[in-house]
Amino acid sequence: MKIPKDRIRFNVGGRIFETTSTTLANAGRNSFFGALFDDNWALKQSINDSNPNSEFYIDRNPDCFGVLLDLLRTGDLHIPSHVPERLLHREASFYGLLNHVRSAKWGSFDGNRLHHSRSVTGRAPGDGTAIRAGPDGGCCVAHGSMVHVYDWMMEEHPPINLDYQRVNDVAWLDSENVILSACERLGRGDGGMGLFSKSTGELRYKFQVCHENQLKSYTAGALSTSSDYRIFSSCKGRSNEYGIGVWDQISGKQIDFFYESPGWSLGDADKLQWLNGSNCLLVATLFPRKDNCYISMLDFREKRMVWSWSDIDAPITVDEKRVRDAIAMEDCNAVCVVNEYEDLGFIDLRMSGGSVRWSSRSRLMKGKMPDEPCYPKLALHEGLLFSSMDDCISVFCGPDWVLTSRFRQLYGGSICDFSIGGDRLFALHSEENVFDIWETPPPPIL
Amino acid sequence: MSNQKKRNFQIEAFKHRVVVDPKYADKTWKILEHAIHEIYNHNASGLSFEELYRNAYNMVLHKFGEKLYSGLVSTMTSHLKEISKSIEAAQGDSFLEELNRKWNDHNKALQMIRDILMYMDRTYIPSTHKTPVHELGLNLWRDNIIHSSKIQTRLLNTLLELVHRERTGEVIDRGLMRNIIKMLMDLGSLVYQEDFEKPFLEVSAEFYKVESQEFIECCDCGEYLKKAEKRLNEEIERVTHYLDAKSEVKITNVVEKEMIANHMLSLVHMENSGLVNMLLDDKYEDLGRMYNLFRRVPNGLLTIREVMTSHLRETGKQLVTDPERLKDPVEFVQRLLDEKDKYDSIISLAFSNDKTFQNALNSSFEYFINLNARSPEFISLFVDDKLRKGLKGVSEEDVEVILDKVMMLFRYLQEKDVFEKYYKQHLAKRLLSGKTVSDDAERSLIVKLKTECGYQFTSKLEGMFTDMKTSQDTMQGFYASHPELGDGPTLVVQVLTTGSWPTQPNVTCNLPAEMSALCEKFRSYYLGTHTGRRLSWQTNMGTADVKATFGKGQKHELNVSTFQMCVLMLFNNADRLSYKEIEQATEIPASDLKRCLQSMACVKGKNVLRKEPMSKDIGEEDAFFVNDKFTSKFYKVKIGTVVAQKESEPEKQETRQREEDRKPQIEAAIVRIMKSRRVLDHNNIIAEVTKQLQSRFLANPRRLRNVLSLLLNEISWRGIPLTENCTVILLEGIA
Repeated sequence: MKIPKDRIRFNVGGRIFETTSTTLANAGRNSFFGALFDDNWALKQSINDSNPNSEFYIDRNPDCFGVLLDLLRTGDLHIPSHVPERLLHREASFYGLLNHVRSAKWGSFDGNRLHHSRSVTGRAPGDGTAIRAGPDGGCCVAHGSMVHVYDWMMEEHPPINLDYQRVNDVAWLDSENVILSACERLGRGDGGMGLFSKSTGELRYKFQVCHENQLKSYTAGALSTSSDYRIFSSCKGRSNEYGIGVWDQISGKQIDFFYESPGWSLGDADKLQWLNGSNCLLVATLFPRKDNCYISMLDFREKRMVWSWSDIDAPITVDEKRVRDAIAMEDCNAVCVVNEYEDLGFIDLRMSGGSVRWSSRSRLMKGKMPDEPCYPKLALHEGLLFSSMDDCISVFCGPDWVLTSRFRQLYGGSICDFSIGGDRLFALHSEENVFDIWETPPPPIL
Repeated sequence: MSNQKKRNFQIEAFKHRVVVDPKYADKTWKILEHAIHEIYNHNASGLSFEELYRNAYNMVLHKFGEKLYSGLVSTMTSHLKEISKSIEAAQGDSFLEELNRKWNDHNKALQMIRDILMYMDRTYIPSTHKTPVHELGLNLWRDNIIHSSKIQTRLLNTLLELVHRERTGEVIDRGLMRNIIKMLMDLGSLVYQEDFEKPFLEVSAEFYKVESQEFIECCDCGEYLKKAEKRLNEEIERVTHYLDAKSEVKITNVVEKEMIANHMLSLVHMENSGLVNMLLDDKYEDLGRMYNLFRRVPNGLLTIREVMTSHLRETGKQLVTDPERLKDPVEFVQRLLDEKDKYDSIISLAFSNDKTFQNALNSSFEYFINLNARSPEFISLFVDDKLRKGLKGVSEEDVEVILDKVMMLFRYLQEKDVFEKYYKQHLAKRLLSGKTVSDDAERSLIVKLKTECGYQFTSKLEGMFTDMKTSQDTMQGFYASHPELGDGPTLVVQVLTTGSWPTQPNVTCNLPAEMSALCEKFRSYYLGTHTGRRLSWQTNMGTADVKATFGKGQKHELNVSTFQMCVLMLFNNADRLSYKEIEQATEIPASDLKRCLQSMACVKGKNVLRKEPMSKDIGEEDAFFVNDKFTSKFYKVKIGTVVAQKESEPEKQETRQREEDRKPQIEAAIVRIMKSRRVLDHNNIIAEVTKQLQSRFLANPRRLRNVLSLLLNEISWRGIPLTENCTVILLEGIA
């Protein structure tokens, strides 16, 4: 039988593999195989023509080569139990196939089909502050004054800190850069906001705030970024310079500062959310950071607050429903809020000064609160609403926000924060320094 | 004891052994460096990609990334310096070829080097924020070749020289050009712009400055434009062949500025070939070219438009104020129409139906047509002429075309009510004398006027048509009810509604007995069928067909006016009648009588009467006879009436009359506006009224103020004086 021209024989670390150039073409030009078969290197010719039994030698691990060859053949990643994951990643990195491994490892995000992938235990001393998913499947976890950074392989990179000041928030600028906001240290000018390299942990830029042409030190709170390359942060300066600072992502320069007006709160905000459709920033300062809750929408083009809501004048009811987290849902023209009993409430965005329409969905929780409760958190992802309560995360769908899924991981106590990104969901527990990774499995075979 | 144990635990030696060979990095780099040399020397076939890739990988893995990277930079730099020398050494035309060849080699080498160093490119470079290999290769090429002192200027000069040679008609190697320009673009848009585009634009500007000066001195306008257009197309073509597409706007801007914008005025006003000459000679092609070229530069079209407008106004003014032209209204209007047609086709053929040009054309016509106060009259006369005879044998579509053109002129008129007045008179004559060629054409024009000016404007004109129709029916009814009248003279009566028709002084006369009897019968018939009406006879407007037998028995049917008929009938009973006798018998007013006698006795070929003494004019003492010697080739003879001496009433009188006619319309407009607005200040009223009346005439603001102040006194509304010129007017209690 004639051997097809297309067939290629490899000797990898002493083991023979046969495959075809079409299979290898799946690796792409920017890979070991892509370069190997480029005309410049004229290797394909020599392998095929001179001797059909000639083989191409590669001095690498044959087990991993087999796994990666299967990945190129089928698009599926199957790692036998005797192949350590780290070794496979190392080999994939040699061949330039790391991205192939990553995209085959888990499927595209579906909030109703999440599986627990693994839990990672950290070694920070205090309680977790925040967890943020990165765009390529990595994450960073803020504990006290440190931020631990993990790539998608859950390899930990050098931790990040800003003068060892207490970290208030973390945000990913892109898959390589992280911003961190921290408290100011009185009298030293430390703290504020810094840009760090994910892989090396080095501080690459420190954002500055100017008031009346004078550089001032400040405490940076909640962070948000927008698709038009801006960074927002709630800021508190020492001389009552409270408000929202705006920086340019490319130049790093401060381009705006929205001062809070008396009787309102912006500089203490817990949560910032950039809304692409309406070109506004949602700023929420929530109980108990202040005695009252303030939610506002800022339009920086017109330099004004275009929408606001507060519970200052709301009557205090017996069950005392206080807003603990808020998230704007542009498609529904509403802000969704949640109280400590995980009741969802909605405020109409189309008019200012509306009241919260509570949906008395879950009263079940009442009376059996855990000893050390964490306030619920909300997240919105591709039309699904997520809310965390105790050690559970609930998923709500549809126009009426029906509860469709609920998942929990028992170890680690209540969930104090969670984040969705890079097709993964990360949940940070308040005890034991542990966080869980939830993924959607790769698509079914049929 | 414990010490000994510790000594056994000699870590140092152990540690020494795991440390990799200190020369490892140097050895590995040597292999890679050698490979890079071989690649540049086209000796790559002996290299093992796998080995090189693995070596580079290992260097990065063992933290020698920095060494690898800096080694790459220095190796590549030294190769590029060699290459630079060989390019510098190339003579003459081979310079660009050598550069291109080396550039291709470098690109290929760069790709292979990148393949070997792929792992470094992917891991070491992003984490250390260094320039990736490919970009590094381009930057080094830029710094060592393109920006080398011996190449930079030479390259630029060679490129500019080639462009210049192509501009002067030589054929150059465009493929090579494209490759070199592409290289500059690959090195970054900044390199392309700084090292080629900017100087290229400067040189081009200089070139076209000189060339346009030459052209303008020796070419006429049309020729110049042809050359400019050719140059522009050449530059656009050049961009598509070998420049960056983004350069197109920039280079065309240069050509436009140097060749067109800078010479715009001298081109437009060029003696014997400028814009005016093109317009006069209908040079559509040249005009179109000028339009398309000037459109590209700021104020270009404005310039054309202004020159065209002033030329049009000037010629138009000459046309409408030339006393020669005023003699023939039909010719006058035809000239206007021809002028309009000429410019319409210029705008549609050369100026791509540009709206702004059409507006300029319209405003120019509006300007000069209204320079002549008699334009409305002439246009009506033109219509009259066309409807009387001009449209005979013309197809329906062509009639429409002519009427549409007339309407277009009508639109330019400011004094549309004057036109209406004349039109009414001319229409009345046409209808009463039965001279109109086509009823359809008449009605079609009325419909056009109606759509243009509204129902009000044409209601009376339509009334005239209705009268004609009902008169026909009435006459049929009359003869049907009086069968005994079959033999005698035939009476045709047209009953005209007062008000619809132009008012005429009611001149009466004594009709012959047989006629007056008939008239009485009709009167009683008519008043019998229509109660509450009044009939009065307009004998001055009628006509009669009279059968006459002359001396030698020759018979003729004479078509005469009613007055003439009355006179002629007198001769049935007498041979000789003096002027006084005729006047007494007929009681025709003197001036009319004189005219009617004059046309029967003094016009050659129509002289059915003879008069003594023979003279041109009619005297009170003259005597009249039947002219027995009257002959005519035709059986039917139309006598006609000599035209009255033009009324010596001064034009002013007519103007004053017109202003009086307009007063009710102005008043009505004011009241209409105040009813809807209630409060309005003085100036706004004037503006509103002017706007409302625009479809009929252009109101004189002073006149408007007059009417307004008169109205203020008459009606119970309140004017609150604010300042001298501003009054707020409140309308109170007018239903």
